[in-house]
Amino acid sequence: MEVELQEIRDFLSHVVPFDQLNDDALNRLPSTLVVRYLRRGTPFPPADQSDHALYIVRRGAVELRDVEDKLVEKLAEGDLYSGLCLSDDPQGALHGTLVEDSLFYLLPCDTLQQWRSNHPVLEAHFSRTLQHRLRRALERQQAGENHANLLTVAVGHLLTRSPVTASPDCSIRDAARQMTAERVSALLLVEEGRLAGIVTDRDLRSRCIADGVSPEQPVSTIMSRHLHKVSRETPAFEALLTMTRLHIHHLPVVDSSGVAGLITTSDLIRQQSAHTVYLVDTVRKAANLAALVKAHRRLPELQVQLCAAGASAQQIGHAVTAVADALTRRLIELAEEELGPAPVAWAWLAGGSQARREQTVHSDQDNALLLADDYDATAHAGWFKRLAESVCSGLAACGYYDCPGGIMASNPQWRQPWQAWRHLFDGWITQPDGHAVAQAVNFLDLRVIHGDERLFSSLQHEVLQQIRASQRFLTALSETALENRPPLGFFRNFVLIGEGDHANTLDLKRRGLLPVVNLARVHVLSAGLPVIGTIERIHAAVDAGLISREGAEALEDAFNFIGTLRARHQASQIKRGEAPDNFVPPEELSAPERGHLKDAFSAIATLQAALGRHHA
Amino acid sequence: MLERLLGLDYRRRRLHAKCTEGPLQDYLATPFPPTRSDCRETTFIALDLETSGLDPQHDTIISFGWVAMRGLAIDLSTARHRVIRQQCAIPESSAVIHQITDDQAATGYELHDILSEFLPILAGHVLIAHNAQIELGFLDTACRRLLGGRFIAPTVDTCYLARRWYDRRNRHFRSGDLRLANVRTRYNLPQYRAHDALSDALSCAELFAAQLAEHGVNGRLPLKAFLLPA
Repeated sequence: MEVELQEIRDFLSHVVPFDQLNDDALNRLPSTLVVRYLRRGTPFPPADQSDHALYIVRRGAVELRDVEDKLVEKLAEGDLYSGLCLSDDPQGALHGTLVEDSLFYLLPCDTLQQWRSNHPVLEAHFSRTLQHRLRRALERQQAGENHANLLTVAVGHLLTRSPVTASPDCSIRDAARQMTAERVSALLLVEEGRLAGIVTDRDLRSRCIADGVSPEQPVSTIMSRHLHKVSRETPAFEALLTMTRLHIHHLPVVDSSGVAGLITTSDLIRQQSAHTVYLVDTVRKAANLAALVKAHRRLPELQVQLCAAGASAQQIGHAVTAVADALTRRLIELAEEELGPAPVAWAWLAGGSQARREQTVHSDQDNALLLADDYDATAHAGWFKRLAESVCSGLAACGYYDCPGGIMASNPQWRQPWQAWRHLFDGWITQPDGHAVAQAVNFLDLRVIHGDERLFSSLQHEVLQQIRASQRFLTALSETALENRPPLGFFRNFVLIGEGDHANTLDLKRRGLLPVVNLARVHVLSAGLPVIGTIERIHAAVDAGLISREGAEALEDAFNFIGTLRARHQASQIKRGEAPDNFVPPEELSAPERGHLKDAFSAIATLQAALGRHHA
Repeated sequence: MLERLLGLDYRRRRLHAKCTEGPLQDYLATPFPPTRSDCRETTFIALDLETSGLDPQHDTIISFGWVAMRGLAIDLSTARHRVIRQQCAIPESSAVIHQITDDQAATGYELHDILSEFLPILAGHVLIAHNAQIELGFLDTACRRLLGGRFIAPTVDTCYLARRWYDRRNRHFRSGDLRLANVRTRYNLPQYRAHDALSDALSCAELFAAQLAEHGVNGRLPLKAFLLPA
């Protein structure tokens, strides 16, 4: 191969799936290609290209449309068109138009076939169905240990902030001021990018104040030199052993670019204690709201560590929800201690992601109160009002922001006796207009957090029977489920939503997770099944013969992949000190991640289309 | 002047008759493609020479880069880069541009061998170059010195086509507008970082593909309309 085709080689090294080829193969690839230039407005693939080929967009853009002329895909730099080479490729059914003057690299189909037989990574990419690709992506995403502990976590994953540093020339007083302002117990002293020493709280006490050194002296006079350092890759347990052996509490972490951070014994101890169990236990024992708020501040850390340990979205959801459940129960207990025993039987119901056990650190509160029918408004309303307000404001204080739709027990509308709830559901089910369905959706995922389980299960049983028999309500619910469509894919650094519609960020919740949640809900409700979690619902729908096993597996993998991506996105936001959210800018996604997301969207769209046909 | 009116292929036959036996004579024995043929049925060879200066009499060829374009498709399997062995040191200024050091040039090929490799590849096809006078001038000088005859070739000059584009639209241009990288920008072609002979030959072939596409690929693309006037 001519080394001068380096430019093309370098470009291909970023194109999926050629990015997985070894160097030798990648060097040989460019000379197998043909270059074509096509002008804006030209039909695609071009009719004058006699040899069928795989098209790699080097520059420019192509729109691909289906038989109804609906936009399906928009290709740009680095995207592939394989419709002519793969017999079962859905792209083959599309026709396209150049929307920019474009340059393509063509890999003739017969050459592609040879490369596929010689390179398993290419064969895997081009032969696997969408389902297989998604399953593999998920496996790779979750490669790693499923338990966050000191044995498996590297020091680098525990660094929660950038290092606090100063020059060794600054005065002891300034160093102490900076440590106070930054709320750290140690300050790293850096000279020309290199670590020169460290000064700790203890040094200020024993080497400055006790020795009568003037605080105007440079901090270098009291700093410790010749430090023991660790790298980001050092296992956390090794770092802990080192600190114990040397009787120190701080270890600088360095990497190729210099000082990466500081790890402390309390970081390591917290790492152990931040396990879900410990956090749940701390919440359970909290004496008052202040203690709860304090304990709850560790929740973001829990998500960061679970992500670092390779936990799946489902595992993270269960862990984070366990904390929310414990918190809700403890808030109820604290309120009851103050208010005395409840006047009638009742149940605290969690809705939304808490009910489904799919919470992340960025979750709102959805809850409601179900009261026994011997409830007497004049005599009992005050007790339940105070209870609800106390618990809801407690949750808010811990960071569960108020539900935008006001679905909270503190709202008297959602604090009702059994018969009143039954009546509400009956109204929504028999008169399923847009508002009624939207309202009902809020109460179709409910779980008892505290109180009388049987009070709720009898209500749930009746409601499920009624929904199952009401085709009108199910049709209306399906329509709502199809309102939120996943995006078509990506176009350069935009999310391609539809015709002429681009977004700068991908809303993983609204565009990825909620469509699956809604689909799964409709299916189990049509069979009257009392299942709440989305994955459990998908399984139940397969068992009930409502969706195909293949479709269900793809949907489950899509849900897990998007959910895990969201949890990690939030974890990196937490690490950067930003507030976690559901919005991922496409430039943050790697090329393979974009590919897998596109597969995930397509799996969701396929099942949405099936639901649409069923209820049409 | 009379020879110009008689056409390029007539001149080829005249030069063939006068030429010493060898690769140049073999090259000149192959008829040029008819000027009425369609570009889609023509094979082009895009060539770029890196030279130590602009004067074929005093400067030398440092490297060759070429790639074939069959109809509208550039075939990268034909891409070649050849560095020529130098007798004396390359002036520093051109070494910077071409990223070729004296060490590389000292281990290169003999110019004669590369002409013997290149001429059979070009035979019967059309040359493409950006600012082709340089390539034509240096090849002619080399052929006269080493192969005993004159060199001619039917030629597409992408720089000439770019100038004609401005002239036909009565649009003013500056000389910088005709530089390869700047003309490419107008066609949404990517900027390449490397500026070796092969990279420039490929850039030039891609530019010609874009210039052809501009003429509309559904109608006829007569070769004559794109050739440098003889």
